[in-house]
Amino acid sequence: MAEVSYIKASRVFSGNPPVRAVDELSLDVADGEFLVLVGPSGSGKSTALRMLAGLEDVDEGAINIGGKDVTNVPPKGRDIAMVFQSYALYPHMTVAENMGFALKLRGVNKAEIKEKVAEAAKMLDLTKYLDRKPKALSGGQRQRVAMGRAIVREPSVFLMDEPLSNLDAKLRVETRANIAALQQRLGTTTIYVTHDQVEAMTMGHRVAVLKDGLLQQCDTPRALYDRPANAFVAGFIGSPAMNLKTVPLTSEGAKLDGIVVPLSRSALDAASSEQLAEVTFGIRPEALALVPSGDEGMEMTVELVEELGADALVHGAVKIGDSSERFVVRVDGRTPPSLGQNVKVVVRDATEIHLFHPESGARLEA
Amino acid sequence: MRRFLDRYWYAYAMVLPVVVVIAVLVLYPLAQGVYFTFTNINEANIANPVLDRPATFDVVGFKNYLNVLSGDQSYGAFWGTLVRTLIWTFSCVFFHYTIGLGLALLLNRQVRGRTLYRVLLILPWAVPGFISAFAWKYMFNAQYGIINQFLRSIGLPDPVWLGQSNWALVAVIIVNVWLGVPFQMVALLGGLQSIPGDLYEAAEVDGATPWQRFVHVTLPGLRSVSSTVILLGIIWTFNMFPVIYLIADKNPNTRILVTYAFERFFSGASRDYAVASTYGVLILSLLLVFASVYRRALRKQGEVW
Amino acid sequence: MTLDATSLQVVKASDARLKRTDRSRLASFGLHATLIIASFIAVFPVFWVLVTSFKPDARAVETTPKLVNESSLDNYSRILAGDKGGFLTWFGNSVLIALLTTIIAVFLAATTGYAVSRFRFPGKRGLMMSFLVVQMFPFAVLIVPLYNVLLTLGLQGNSFGLVLVYCTTAVPFCTYMLKGYFDTIPMDIDEAGRVDGLSPFGVFWRLVLPLARPGLAVTAFYAFLTAWGEVAFASAFLSAADESKTLAVGLQVFVQQNRTEWGHLAAASILVSIPAVIVFYLVQRFLVTGLASGAVKG
Repeated sequence: MAEVSYIKASRVFSGNPPVRAVDELSLDVADGEFLVLVGPSGSGKSTALRMLAGLEDVDEGAINIGGKDVTNVPPKGRDIAMVFQSYALYPHMTVAENMGFALKLRGVNKAEIKEKVAEAAKMLDLTKYLDRKPKALSGGQRQRVAMGRAIVREPSVFLMDEPLSNLDAKLRVETRANIAALQQRLGTTTIYVTHDQVEAMTMGHRVAVLKDGLLQQCDTPRALYDRPANAFVAGFIGSPAMNLKTVPLTSEGAKLDGIVVPLSRSALDAASSEQLAEVTFGIRPEALALVPSGDEGMEMTVELVEELGADALVHGAVKIGDSSERFVVRVDGRTPPSLGQNVKVVVRDATEIHLFHPESGARLEA
Repeated sequence: MRRFLDRYWYAYAMVLPVVVVIAVLVLYPLAQGVYFTFTNINEANIANPVLDRPATFDVVGFKNYLNVLSGDQSYGAFWGTLVRTLIWTFSCVFFHYTIGLGLALLLNRQVRGRTLYRVLLILPWAVPGFISAFAWKYMFNAQYGIINQFLRSIGLPDPVWLGQSNWALVAVIIVNVWLGVPFQMVALLGGLQSIPGDLYEAAEVDGATPWQRFVHVTLPGLRSVSSTVILLGIIWTFNMFPVIYLIADKNPNTRILVTYAFERFFSGASRDYAVASTYGVLILSLLLVFASVYRRALRKQGEVW
Repeated sequence: MTLDATSLQVVKASDARLKRTDRSRLASFGLHATLIIASFIAVFPVFWVLVTSFKPDARAVETTPKLVNESSLDNYSRILAGDKGGFLTWFGNSVLIALLTTIIAVFLAATTGYAVSRFRFPGKRGLMMSFLVVQMFPFAVLIVPLYNVLLTLGLQGNSFGLVLVYCTTAVPFCTYMLKGYFDTIPMDIDEAGRVDGLSPFGVFWRLVLPLARPGLAVTAFYAFLTAWGEVAFASAFLSAADESKTLAVGLQVFVQQNRTEWGHLAAASILVSIPAVIVFYLVQRFLVTGLASGAVKG
């Protein structure tokens, strides 16, 4: 078990211009922590993980595992185990051989390998399949073998590269919980890469959001959700995504269609100190509410209603200035408005308003 | 430099043996061969280490190339031979490819006994070349060959296949087609199997007839295999000498560039290494030009290898 | 397959359901007829040599050939007894040379193919291009310079020298083929192996080679055939002594000296073909997958 740190680590792919796939990433992961790297495709999250694994060069900066600089250490010297998206099970070996391979390479004696494999197989409910080849297993079973292969080694760090993306939706949710519980039990430092923010939020102790090779924010799921550091994180975390609109600013607050949403003093100060006439205004669908048509609020024409059971998501167009902007509102699933209906939308809770710089996207107010 | 070696040393370690073998046994002799083309080297004036005789050949500049390219009969009538080489190459590759593709298409279907058919059809590839040559030479024999026996029995004329006429060229082309079809068939069969089945289903749902599916799904799906095997086929056929040499011997009607190089090399007491090498270099240049044109044509259509 | 008029006719009225995979009887007949004719043409020359190999020399040249004509195993027994040259010695030489060529060529092609498939390194493109160019030159006209090289290396007249020469002809194509095959093995497997504690060579040896068996089989087949049937190099680079000849060389001499002994020639040919056909039979089930990936990715 060990802590992991990226120290201004970069991976630069040669080309014209060179691509900085991971750009000066600095990140400290505590011993036993479950850290999730999340971001859209091309954000450099997998590259960052592979740099830690030693499968990708570290062109600048350094990486430490357990306080030891491993920047130039080959994968086998890093005491890590990795679960691949494709699982990368060795097709010519049985499940037991797959799981025991790393130990065999280290020269562990056969009896001990057998014992450890049996133990891991029991934990993962794979005992029945130990003599099978990967080809004869279902997707979920293969995924568990890949996990087992990592567990058997008792490494100081687990690396997981989108290990659930080849499973169907139901199995994915189940396995998600299993992995989190397993990590809890083993207490091994884990770095987990995913593009799915739900996975990130539900599994990670902390979540690091990357975009274009740059770390955007690294914090607990709650903090990411409540105080996103910039407009990108705000839009990326949470489903459905936060409503993010550029709106004009008045002395009291942000001007939307028909209403002026009052803003906190600190936010207004921050905006005026930068002399902004407009801000990026963000509000989550659940912080909006529909009110009776007589009341004050933004006029919205309902274009789509997604019924989710407990909730419903109402999509509609709201006029801001000259353009029509799309908003999503989360409402009670039993009383959704109908299509084409004109409704009034209000901000339910002014403390849930997020303001960002319209150009840089950085969060306004401290 | 340290970093360079650090990063690449295992790649270089893995290719090193091949590079050494190729450099010593291919590039060095090739360079020497190219040098020979500017000399009048032959069996009489070459250094002979066994007899401890020093070399006495002279450098003659471009004389060999001029002699060969003049098309002179005594230097193998280069241009006529080139035309025959092209006929030989293109007819062989054409039949290799079309027959190979046809059989591959048949074998790619659900046919009872598919494995057996496949084994039988690949068999010509497995038989050593000189044995096949011998078999065909025997079958082509004008008097006791089974082929003429068969032609006579169904009332067709029975030519003297391997005599001094163009029938000899036809005969060696037939043999080479027989030899080369299995390779193309196997490669194309693999190519067919790599075309995803849902492409055919999509085309069928779009209302494509079997012929349209062949033209718009099968052929494009085979493009990359086809371009590779056709290029290889052309290179191999261009330089295919054992078949011709073993079946038709030194028949001028089957003479192609490479067999003539051989004739010069092996025939008589004064083995003419200089002219043989000159032919070798000319063959290499022709194929290089062809390959680069071929590549450019493919690249223009968006296919690069 | 399509529903044309003929296919509808053969379906009984009571069972008008047509499975998609059904083929009309006519199409089926055409398909099998074509395959049978093609197979016949493919096999016939070999079959005819087999038939001839049992006939006495005089019967083999009759103008109206028959399948059986005083056939016996005499030709075989005389050849194997050594009446027509040291057949068994030649056979041994050929087996040795072909096996050595196969092992060395496959090994060289595998390491090179793997490096080219997995690593990006300066000079890679040049290497691949040179493999293509190497196949364009009629190397037999380089026998003289090659002879000098082998003499300098002390390998002239030695089967190992000949094996190396064969490797240079087999390796370029084999490398292409194996590179293509290695390309189909996911990189993840290599990486999993690296993480599990293998060196780059370990990955190659313990993971990639076992997984590339079909590709290796085809490569071995190709290399074996290259060496097994070759005449020109073998006659130039092996010592002229009868006991060091390969089968191909020995038979060549035999043909030149005994132009009329068709029966014996046929028997000898069959004997020569047997090992090649055995090797072929062992690898044939891999041929399609092994060769295809090589050619597809060429």
